[in-house]
Amino acid sequence: MSTYHLGEFEEIVLLTVAILNGQGYGNSIINEIEQRLKRNVSLGAMQTVLKRLEEKQLVSSVFGESTENRGGKRKRLYNITSEGKILINQSKEQRNELWNAIPNIALKFC
Amino acid sequence: MTHFPPPPKKMVAFFRWFCKSQFLEELEGDLTERYYFNIDKYGNKKANLLFTKEVLSLLRPNLIRNIQFNHLKNKIMITNHKRLFTFIFIALGLLSVPLVAMQFTNEVNWNVADFLVMGILLFSTAFFCDLVLKKIKTKKYRLIFLLIVLLIFFLIWAELAVGLFGSPFAGS
Repeated sequence: MSTYHLGEFEEIVLLTVAILNGQGYGNSIINEIEQRLKRNVSLGAMQTVLKRLEEKQLVSSVFGESTENRGGKRKRLYNITSEGKILINQSKEQRNELWNAIPNIALKFC
Repeated sequence: MTHFPPPPKKMVAFFRWFCKSQFLEELEGDLTERYYFNIDKYGNKKANLLFTKEVLSLLRPNLIRNIQFNHLKNKIMITNHKRLFTFIFIALGLLSVPLVAMQFTNEVNWNVADFLVMGILLFSTAFFCDLVLKKIKTKKYRLIFLLIVLLIFFLIWAELAVGLFGSPFAGS
């Protein structure tokens, strides 16, 4: 059993970081979430969660290249760590377990 | 991207002021990138508004640096306290006049309630004078509001002493 439980938004961010596979940075993660989940995300909320995940060692980061459209500032690229992978796998298994435990009749619509 | 205007300077300066130095580069880059994207999508005016909104959304405890106001705070506190204490000493001085006069003549005869009411009146006036000087910066308005405060003080005093308006608190 893990000692750290992910919140709903933390889980979404962690999964998106995993989807982007080392190429995710603040804006690209926001765009990915907005495209896939049709959900608005502010830069502040995203950065807070990314910093928290990094503190918990669920993601790691390195500086990437600087581009002109960023005013010459470098990106911070995030990647999921092995602890992060274990945690999202656990989370998936727990959810699957719960889904499997629902009796068929409970999901039938009248 | 050189044909786009730079992000609003004041908001950039504000962001640089409050953001932790270790996050400054990446966050400023993200903000700039989103700003140029928004100009392209919505135009300058809305992009400026969205930039402001996003800078404000970054005002979060884990992103804000430890801002030291102490030197400024102490300076303001000393100045304000000095002025307020001056007013309080003036009020105490005025309050001691009848106390001293009572030792030499029977014409002045104040009881505890009289001193209490006068004390409240004088200290309230001192407080409001200090408030006027603290909040109002223009000389002209300072003078006007100080005169209003003093006029109210004298009217209440006169009403309590001799009953100018015939209120229930009027003196005889």
